[in-house]
Amino acid sequence: MKIEGKHVFKAPVQKVWEHLTDPRHLEKALPGCERLDEKEPGKYDATLKIGIAAIKGTYQGKVEVADPHPPKRYRLRGEGSGSPGFVKGEALIELSEQGDRTTVNYEGEMQVGGLIAGIGQRMMGGIAKMMLGQFFKNIEKDLGRTG
Amino acid sequence: MKPSVFKYFDPTSVDEAIGLLQRYGEDAKILAGGQSLVPMMNFRVARPKVLVDINKVQGLSYIREEGEEIAIGALTREREVERSTLVREKCPILSEAVSHIGHLPVRTRGTIGGSLVHADPSAEIPTVICALGGSMKAVGPSGERSLGPEEFFLTYLTSALGPDEILTEVRVPVLPPGTGWSFLELSRRHGDFAIVAVASIVGLDGDGRCNRAAIALGGVAPTPIRAREAEEALLGRALEGALLEEAGRLAAEATEPESDYHASADYRRDMARVFVRRGLEEAIERAKGGR
Amino acid sequence: MADGRRIKVKVNGVLYEREVEPRRLLVDFLREDLELLGTHIGCEHGICGACTVIFNGQPVRSCLMFAVQADGAEIMTVEGLARDGKLHPIQEAFQENHGLQCGFCTPGMLMTAYHFLQENPDPTEEEVRVAVAGVLCRCTGYKQVVDSVMAAAAKMRG
Repeated sequence: MKIEGKHVFKAPVQKVWEHLTDPRHLEKALPGCERLDEKEPGKYDATLKIGIAAIKGTYQGKVEVADPHPPKRYRLRGEGSGSPGFVKGEALIELSEQGDRTTVNYEGEMQVGGLIAGIGQRMMGGIAKMMLGQFFKNIEKDLGRTG
Repeated sequence: MKPSVFKYFDPTSVDEAIGLLQRYGEDAKILAGGQSLVPMMNFRVARPKVLVDINKVQGLSYIREEGEEIAIGALTREREVERSTLVREKCPILSEAVSHIGHLPVRTRGTIGGSLVHADPSAEIPTVICALGGSMKAVGPSGERSLGPEEFFLTYLTSALGPDEILTEVRVPVLPPGTGWSFLELSRRHGDFAIVAVASIVGLDGDGRCNRAAIALGGVAPTPIRAREAEEALLGRALEGALLEEAGRLAAEATEPESDYHASADYRRDMARVFVRRGLEEAIERAKGGR
Repeated sequence: MADGRRIKVKVNGVLYEREVEPRRLLVDFLREDLELLGTHIGCEHGICGACTVIFNGQPVRSCLMFAVQADGAEIMTVEGLARDGKLHPIQEAFQENHGLQCGFCTPGMLMTAYHFLQENPDPTEEEVRVAVAGVLCRCTGYKQVVDSVMAAAAKMRG
């Protein structure tokens, strides 16, 4: 499914770039992320515990911060598999500064497969949107903390 | 597939059930009718380590008129709600909504409480409760609390119940005589999940002007939603033709539908518009004809 | 077995006492523990209806219940329809009206029809359609199923 949208942060572009690419911040922002271990620069092994209500699952996978063009854009890639199914996604993330604000535009694709996709298909789009919303909220909180 | 291993408890009182939830926390899941939970367990998409079967808990299955409300125990089977003459006479929109749930064997075991807590935004009971403005009673270790639909339904499959709370009762208002109502559902086959569901309640005063309007939509957002702007547009006006079209349009704008195998977001939004208009027409006929 | 529970269930008039794991589904208990293979498993999530049995007088999806929940209950499966080798009128009607082809959904159809005709002995075709809609049949196109149930109703009205 296609995912696209934008989010505006009340922070300068350099700070937002840092929070969106540095694994220490990503670890805190990715919903359910328990750990992010760097394997190579920009490539991380991830453990994510995500779910909704009774449907919780642990996914093992990889997250990659690819093609970085600081502080303007990069590609965020991720994939994970666990007992409920698998998730794979890639998005182009673009940052632009307007005064003291930064707009982040994202556009990409996400695939969900396995049992969770079969059963949850009619809610998958909505739940993906929710998790993205959660991701950006977490980034915002983190930005607020580091001022 | 078969469910993963779990510890099984079958308490006979609400207190005992709550005690178990407190003890096992996030590892525990309540089993009521099982019509939503067990399919997930059979696929191992849900793997509770502890199952608290509340089917033997006494005092949670009843349908009673209490003043201007009907109180229904959370464990009351959907089939009983469907067949209740009290509900059919005093809150007929609820009878109609429940009759759309799956097929008979599902309604034989499924419970009204279970459907509410499962909080599927396309489900009939959550949608009609939104239109009725009912209240849900949650009981936990620190006591009881009452929640309205907007507080109760948080998002997909998520109710506001805490991990150590259970739903014991739902209350719905008695519909005064002469109230118009309608429950319409669009699905590919009878018994399938709703693509769009619309519950409408309409009241007309002596001059035929609208003095009550509630329009709830299911299947078009992370929770069932009320089309507040559409409702506002109807109050105080004579309900006919172009106004009903306008209400449909306003309701559709309030939706945030998703696309899936069965229907695109655009289709859902458009069907919301059509079914709100049809629902209002049906509700008005009932209000006028008193049927 | 670890965490096993002893249950007593009456199935087709016969009382059985067994020990089961809590996660044992009722349909698997009937098929595996009691060797009553008439009840079929089609989907394991309550949609196909092939697992339908009568539980304390009501039709249920046996794939969505646990055997431990059947302790003290009375169950009727498709094996309980025929008496002393003689087919039940519903089974006769299905036989005479080609109400089955592969037969996989048939136990679900028969038990659904059995309960339905108890509550509605003189149904319209439309009412029959709604009743059997809860059992998925890929073979017949439903026409012969509806004909069979209507014929069964007529037989049973005498």
